[in-house]
Amino acid sequence: MKTYDIFGYSLSAIRLRKLRAALTTLGVIIGIAAIVALLSITQGLQVSITNDLNRGLSSNTLIVVSGSNALGPAGGSGVGGGPGGRGRAGFGLGGAGATSGFALYVNYTSKIDALSPDIASSLAVIEQSGYINADGLNSSVTIYGVNFNQYSQLYPTTFVAASGTILSNPADNDIIVGTRVNDPSENGTLLFSAGNNVGIVWTNATTLPVVNATYTAKVSAVLQKIGGFGLAGPSDTGVYMPLSQAESFFGTSQCQMILVQLKNSNNSTITDVSKAITNYFGGQVTVISSSAVMSLLSTIFGTIQLFLGGIAAISLLVAGIGIMNIMIVSLIERTREIGILKALGMKSRTVLSIFLGESAIIGLIGALAGILSGWVLANIVARLLASGAFGGTGFKVTPLLTPEVFLGALAFGIVISIIFAMYPAWRASKLKPVDALRYE
Amino acid sequence: MALVEAVDLRKTYMLGKVPVEAVRGVSMKVESGDFVSILGPSGSGKSTMLNLIGALDKPTSGKLLIDGVDISKLNDNQLTDLRRRIGFVFQFFNLIPRLTARDNVELPMAIADVNRAQRRKRAIELLENVGLKDRVNHKPAELSGGQQQRVAIARALANNPKFLLLDEPTGNIDSKTAGEVMGLLKKLNVENGVTIIMVTHDQQLAREANRTLQMFDGKFITETVNPK
Repeated sequence: MKTYDIFGYSLSAIRLRKLRAALTTLGVIIGIAAIVALLSITQGLQVSITNDLNRGLSSNTLIVVSGSNALGPAGGSGVGGGPGGRGRAGFGLGGAGATSGFALYVNYTSKIDALSPDIASSLAVIEQSGYINADGLNSSVTIYGVNFNQYSQLYPTTFVAASGTILSNPADNDIIVGTRVNDPSENGTLLFSAGNNVGIVWTNATTLPVVNATYTAKVSAVLQKIGGFGLAGPSDTGVYMPLSQAESFFGTSQCQMILVQLKNSNNSTITDVSKAITNYFGGQVTVISSSAVMSLLSTIFGTIQLFLGGIAAISLLVAGIGIMNIMIVSLIERTREIGILKALGMKSRTVLSIFLGESAIIGLIGALAGILSGWVLANIVARLLASGAFGGTGFKVTPLLTPEVFLGALAFGIVISIIFAMYPAWRASKLKPVDALRYE
Repeated sequence: MALVEAVDLRKTYMLGKVPVEAVRGVSMKVESGDFVSILGPSGSGKSTMLNLIGALDKPTSGKLLIDGVDISKLNDNQLTDLRRRIGFVFQFFNLIPRLTARDNVELPMAIADVNRAQRRKRAIELLENVGLKDRVNHKPAELSGGQQQRVAIARALANNPKFLLLDEPTGNIDSKTAGEVMGLLKKLNVENGVTIIMVTHDQQLAREANRTLQMFDGKFITETVNPK
């Protein structure tokens, strides 16, 4: 029997019991939809986090932090290129992983500069949590001490003023703030504007009793909206003051990280310079490169996807059992029909193909409808996430349906359907025509 | 060479744990163009004979040659191939309910890999021959018993079989329609030279054949040549 005739016959059997076929297909649809929705959301999330990182940590930049195991599960306090801030869990890139007593200091930059001809420049970043006081209202912020010139060269697309100017030669009391510092609700209600004076407050907990250090700063610029998660680089919730001011305000030259800009982003350069810096500090620092972070991220996301996909796959297994169940019922109902077909000269393997064909059609339709519903579901979830329905002010994720996920889900739906139909199909093919014809 | 030849044919099957000798040493010959009826009461072994001649089952011992081939030496696949050259007509019509009359007639041709245009043409011709030209697109449920049996006869003829094998062909239709169906079968036999083997318990029906083999207790007890 020709393939299209086999499929035609299978289809006629499915059409006979539309509701039953529809319910069986629904099982596949739900399973595939769950897989597609979860994977396209996580993949979309991975892409937005990756983009975010790329913006904050370009491939020719290295981050040096103290501690020998800063880029790992026990990553420490999470002081990255700009995480944290108001009501946000910081996903730290670095941090003091080990409490060896080793610390980085501002003047180490000149030592690092001398380590390799591939280093263009390096820049120390002091980072502390503090408050900004405007109109008598304290808001919690992350304060960074940086060299404005170098910092804006390092982040030419994100460290850009929306209002005011980023002064190349700032006065000690000049500060630059992220857009959510002066517009925390992001609705245009500004707490202050460029040119206004605000209070900077830092609680020095290293002394007893703790004291609040304060000074009045002048907002010289408000940054453009950066968006994203603020994983590295300038952040919408950051307050930036000149490095020298930070040193005197916080009373220390200790810095949390040193950013190293390379002359190129070759892998060999990244490896060599990372090694040189690590060796120079006797292994007491961790050098984070964007490629290392990317590979860590993709490992994390790979695990998450496997986990979520696995959970969703269970529902597909349930659907598979449903298919098997219905095929066995169908086999019993159609015993006589199978006898007729065999009496008319149909081979056992053709009977097998007809039954497998039926479930392949169910799998195909279920997978296609499932992919479509999963995609719709993912977009609905993305909208809910963006609207802040799951807490916070929301974040933007664009669900991503890769060809791999599309084809994988399609193949998975069909293969599961066929696998679970194998036993009933095999039983159908093994029926003896004499017995089958006698069946009432 | 006879079209169907049985030599000391025996078939024993197990009914639960009890062996039942359904056919006990039958010998017969059917020549091409013949019309033979096998007559017997229920339990006489005629259905088992039908299954054997139809290559639906294999004999326990003895020889059964169909078109010169001993079916006891064939495997399942070869038996299936052989069945494509036999036209079955069953008591309960055994049409596929969801298929139209035409699709039912096309089915054995589709199984035998005949291309679509060719089999469609032939199906319509066959339905015309059995007088169902205007019922081509009707499903079995929309046809009377006699009409269904005529569709079944058209289906049996689809692959130009060596012979037609009929199992109580009029057992489920009224006597008037039964007469029509028998008329059609005789016409096929006389005008088209189709060989027919019919199994029945109805004496009157059996007499319509050229000769009747009377079966009892797993054996042929008499052979009667019927007057034309």
